Amino acid sequence: MVTLEGDHLVFRFPDVHEEAGLAVTFQRTLRIPDDDRQYPLPPGLGAFPLRHIDDYRSRLPKAWVERGGVLMPMHQAEAMWISFRGDYPMAVTVATGKVNAITGSPLTRGLHRRPQDYLVTPDQPWLDGFCVEKGVIRQFVAMPLGDGYSVEEQLSRTAEHGGLQLIVRPLKAAAYRRLRRKQGDISRRSADDGIWLCQMDMGLAPGGRMRQEVYEDPFESADWAPKHMSRCFITIVNTALWSPMTGETPPSVPPTASDYTKAGLPWFEYYNPGAVALPGSDKLAKVKSVKAMSESKGVSALPENQSVDVQRKTKILALRPRRVREGRR
Amino acid sequence: MASRRATRPPPPAGRPRSASQPRFGTYIRKVREHLRKTDARFSLRQVAQRIFVQPAYLSQVERGNVAPPSEATTRRLAQDLREDPDVLLALAGKISEDLQEVIRRRPKLLAELLRSLRTAPTHAILRVVREVRDGKW
Repeated sequence: MVTLEGDHLVFRFPDVHEEAGLAVTFQRTLRIPDDDRQYPLPPGLGAFPLRHIDDYRSRLPKAWVERGGVLMPMHQAEAMWISFRGDYPMAVTVATGKVNAITGSPLTRGLHRRPQDYLVTPDQPWLDGFCVEKGVIRQFVAMPLGDGYSVEEQLSRTAEHGGLQLIVRPLKAAAYRRLRRKQGDISRRSADDGIWLCQMDMGLAPGGRMRQEVYEDPFESADWAPKHMSRCFITIVNTALWSPMTGETPPSVPPTASDYTKAGLPWFEYYNPGAVALPGSDKLAKVKSVKAMSESKGVSALPENQSVDVQRKTKILALRPRRVREGRR
Repeated sequence: MASRRATRPPPPAGRPRSASQPRFGTYIRKVREHLRKTDARFSLRQVAQRIFVQPAYLSQVERGNVAPPSEATTRRLAQDLREDPDVLLALAGKISEDLQEVIRRRPKLLAELLRSLRTAPTHAILRVVREVRDGKW
């Protein structure tokens, strides 16, 4: 079951194990410069608000209501990362516009290991973007669906889905007990909807490059519970339409990477010495970043894109078992 | 304080229990001391400074010599110690303003609901929480 608790999307599998829970938030952050340099991890600036899509069904396109899930507001060209919290191991498939963010292949329901198309929590506490190379991602950046920037449009050649999709599967209870023992702890829309949707529907496009590893699954295929799966469609709405749609004020515009760095605030690096990084996706490596795409269109889609020199980095070490902590600055 | 850390989510499984004044103080002191082992910013003085109270007052609270602080201060303390505000408020024997408002709107119905859930297992309570509907996609 999936519940919305404040701005946390919580996946629970009480039929598998009472501890089988995963809380997901979508974190506001700096958009790192799209300049082909590699940046460390930017900070979290608080969670994006999430709302039940059913609460606003009379004001939304029919296609949105049919797919269910939640609404989330993002500014055009705003960046985001996904935070996963929960000690019980889960296999999480992340897709944008129904394109897998780790492999660049169309979203499917099953788990595939060659190439691995999912991440495993809690070893993977965050995902900041599309896995383009081993140890490198391109940041998730919101762009209007229909303008050609999103990964969905570049790889699927359609602007049909947009948004973000999560599919979560728990580890089997027997595998979890074993782990605890080991640890010593135990096609396009209708013409009527077209213009309206193009204005407010957002997809995720690849932004600047960042150092982040997506880790190999440390469990056996048979350890994952095949019959238990929960999924959620997160519809991303342009903040310009958030107020008329929900009656709420949208989040403010986050600071720029340049302003943040000039203020002497830290960036982050995550180390998990025991984990093995997946190779990146060839398909995703070939998609154009927002900056490259906008240059090919002869427009400027990214305001405030100047490079920054990161001076202050905080190292974050993965703790065993399954916790992260921030190191000293 | 800029942090990579996401705001703390609600725990996936159920959590405590009855509230009492000494328990609140003991609990927050335990959490603060635990954090201080790896981060000196969680000294009594620095935590008190960040939540806008005197260190002597926070010390009294931790020892259970005075009543738990106001809702606003308890919320600031929860945020600073990365704890769930509802859990800390419950330990302090308080019900947050927003929950009071929820009960005031439909007092009889909600009182009945809460009493009927008193002994229900966690998974049964979770079914009352509104699920996110999945559709066709």
